Amino acid sequence: MASKQKKTGRTSDWLGFAPFLLFCLAFEIIPIIFLLRGSFIEKTTHLFTFQHYLDLQRPLYINSFVNSIKLSGLTAIIGVVLGTFIGYAVYRWPSERVRELLITLSDVTTNFAGVPLAFAFVVILGMNGVITQFLLQYFQYHLYPKFSIYSFSGLILAYVYFQLPLMVLLILPAFAGLKKEWQESAQSLGAGPFKYWWRIGIPVLMPSLIAGLTLLFANAFGAYATAYTLVESKLSLVTLQIGYMIAGEVRQDQGVGMAMAIGSLIIMGLSIGVYQAATLRARRWSKS
Amino acid sequence: MAYLELKNVNKYYAGVAAVHDFSLDIEKGSLVSFLGPSGCGKTTTLRMIAGFEQLDSGTIRLDGNDIVPVPPNRRDIGMVFQSYALFPNMTVRENVAFGLEMKKTPKAEIKKHVDNVLEMVRLQDTAKRFPHQLSGGQQQRIALARALAVQPRVLLLDEPLSALDAEVRVVLRGEIRRIQSELAITTVYVTHDQEEALSISDKVVVMNKGLIEQVGAPEEIYRAPNTRFVATFIGTANQFLGKTSGKNMVVCNNVELFTNSLTDFKTDQPVVVLVRPENIQVQAEQSRQKGWNSIHGEVETITFHGAITRLGVNVNGQRVVADITVANTQPVSLNQKLWLQFPPEACQVMVVEE
Amino acid sequence: MAKSRSTQSRDPNKRVRPASWQIFMVSFFLLYMLVPIISTYVFSVATRWDRTILPEGYTLEFYKRAFAASYFTITLRNSLILSLATILVSLLVIVPTVYWVHTRLVGAKPLLDILMILPFGIPMVVLALALVQVYNFPPLARSPTLLIGAVVIYSMPFMYRPVSNAIQAVDAQVLTEAGQSLGANVFQVLYRIIIPNILPGILSGSLLVFSTVFAEYTLTSLIVGAKFKTFPLLLVEFTRINGNVASAFSVISFTIAWLVSILILWVGSMGNTKRTKTIRAR
Repeated sequence: MASKQKKTGRTSDWLGFAPFLLFCLAFEIIPIIFLLRGSFIEKTTHLFTFQHYLDLQRPLYINSFVNSIKLSGLTAIIGVVLGTFIGYAVYRWPSERVRELLITLSDVTTNFAGVPLAFAFVVILGMNGVITQFLLQYFQYHLYPKFSIYSFSGLILAYVYFQLPLMVLLILPAFAGLKKEWQESAQSLGAGPFKYWWRIGIPVLMPSLIAGLTLLFANAFGAYATAYTLVESKLSLVTLQIGYMIAGEVRQDQGVGMAMAIGSLIIMGLSIGVYQAATLRARRWSKS
Repeated sequence: MAYLELKNVNKYYAGVAAVHDFSLDIEKGSLVSFLGPSGCGKTTTLRMIAGFEQLDSGTIRLDGNDIVPVPPNRRDIGMVFQSYALFPNMTVRENVAFGLEMKKTPKAEIKKHVDNVLEMVRLQDTAKRFPHQLSGGQQQRIALARALAVQPRVLLLDEPLSALDAEVRVVLRGEIRRIQSELAITTVYVTHDQEEALSISDKVVVMNKGLIEQVGAPEEIYRAPNTRFVATFIGTANQFLGKTSGKNMVVCNNVELFTNSLTDFKTDQPVVVLVRPENIQVQAEQSRQKGWNSIHGEVETITFHGAITRLGVNVNGQRVVADITVANTQPVSLNQKLWLQFPPEACQVMVVEE
Repeated sequence: MAKSRSTQSRDPNKRVRPASWQIFMVSFFLLYMLVPIISTYVFSVATRWDRTILPEGYTLEFYKRAFAASYFTITLRNSLILSLATILVSLLVIVPTVYWVHTRLVGAKPLLDILMILPFGIPMVVLALALVQVYNFPPLARSPTLLIGAVVIYSMPFMYRPVSNAIQAVDAQVLTEAGQSLGANVFQVLYRIIIPNILPGILSGSLLVFSTVFAEYTLTSLIVGAKFKTFPLLLVEFTRINGNVASAFSVISFTIAWLVSILILWVGSMGNTKRTKTIRAR
């Protein structure tokens, strides 16, 4: 009885939690609930409607979702695959000094998203960018107009920049969780290195890989500043569209914007949900 | 010829010998323990047999064949790890079946084998569970079952019980011994727990600082330790430092002790005399038994251990430990003066290198 | 025993040099991470760098112009105000809550964890949209106050993790009971015992919040816009006006991020080294 009371807490104990809860309610939860409500309300008549969601079928909005999902999915996959190999290379690096340095670099660069990063990519890969010029001068190769940093392919390069170090940071603890004894016992039971990775190493890493994939996906899907700086209106993405509606640059019914916001919340919620579940699984395994 | 044969095995880490000139013959079907303190080289030796560590020199022969060049996954040697090392992504059944699958055993046969070994470790009903759903003791049994499923030529156990509670340890070591004798499988058991080693082994190898101190049956190791290290590492022994004098006497700082014949020793040879506390009789009055040692002292500590009570007795400034059993009806109190008596056979004399 | 073995078995004669595939992967990573940054640094001091491989000349002209830009000091000041206010509010709201939940209200831990992961699941544009829709009345509408609320929500996880780790590491429950048995009340325990012990966690949390908020663009531009211009907003403006000056701004921004990261590392090395340990273990 006493322990149960301690766990759930007395009413007075919950009072200590109230300020934080109120803050979250005021600046996060209630506004989102209003947003959800607004997405179902006709603006002039104040009646319930599905119209905003039906409006999402317009090519512009469909396109935004397709582009956003394609961009996030692609950069997440690239990030997971490259990040895992880079992570393993870092993990197995013999010098501890170098290892720490690379981890620190990942820590810093994964936060280099947004405007300065986007501009850095313009500096190297813009029309007159350093690499663009290098290719032109030394290889007579015209990067433009086939490639442009202000396009989908350019965005991929810029997004992978912050996805890669994030994946490296996520996967390193997973590699550390692979016990040396697993490999040794697999060996003593007759398995070679390939069999070990196929039957034990990769399956044990799998929850972390899935967690990485979903987190990277959400990370890219919600990104705004990088895309805004680079492509502006040349490419429609969900976050950019919502941004235009807030800024009032697009004179359209706010309702569609809200429906879009809810749509993106669902996509993000799903990926974060899967991420959480996968992380829990990974933790459970690392315990045994 | 012995089944498993280690000859002049050496292993160095950064120039320091971890295992030095290790030679040992292990008979087929026997259980041999490597016993010693941390860092004595017992685990390293085990891992060299398993193939996880390379030898710097020496040979290891199994059934007459040199196995040093054979990679670990072809040695046909089962290993149980201290941390169990069960594969977390596989059920108990899949874990146990893993080795058989690697051998490309037919499905039906795998099932039969797995059922058999699970029955042997009495965990048939856990087959569908995952390792994290098992207790430590159960995980250890499954690790044993997994190693046994492939019917290895040798079974290696690396401190298999050290992560478990005392009670479970006692039960499991009995289980391990039972299964080992049932299957008559050649087994090497690494432990730092002397009680464990003495209770389950056919032969105990006591190691210290990369060297073998003594090899022998458990009783032999306990009764007749070859070295001062073995005598003090296994059980408790009182140590009297002194010099030989005459045919059967050792003169120490505080006492003179009668021993068995000292013909193997030079006169005035520095030696240590070892006497186990359970071999000392405690008497209130001096009762001269012919030829026995009898020394006088004052009780300083009394520690109750259950079946025995251990006394710390001050004998001319040296602490001597003696055990009295519950059957000993005479009550002993602190600061009591009493006599410690023991026969010459209880004294083991060893040369002290200066 | 197990410990000494694992260090022993790392054979010193084996693998002192990384394999070639490792060198390849790590070099690729280094190039990807460093080329854009270094190029921006060089570009900001280059007279002209669009016809040649190396810049044609070097100058500090763009920094002069950057510092002279109207708004430069104002935006810098605004960014500082926003960052510091956010840190202050975060500290006030999060630290006592985390302490409370760890010691008095363990049952609320799952709820706290969910609330802390929630911001990851909400795109910033959606948060901005929701906030400007609901708070469309003065004085809150499109105000810096509303912005601070939004930024606190968005940066919450960055404060939460180090603080929560620190509280777990010092075993706040036992410290609290010890303090109480010596006659301290809740506030005395928090102020005299807990906070001094988790200071490294609080500091690294604050620094993390600082570096995220200082570079924050989305919420600021969408919620308050030009009324409360911060440094990232100025940078975006200049990417469309003058690339060279924009690169000087970018360099300032990168440099601040580096400095804060070094500070975080330094703070982390004073406190518990739990996180780095988990990565280091092989």
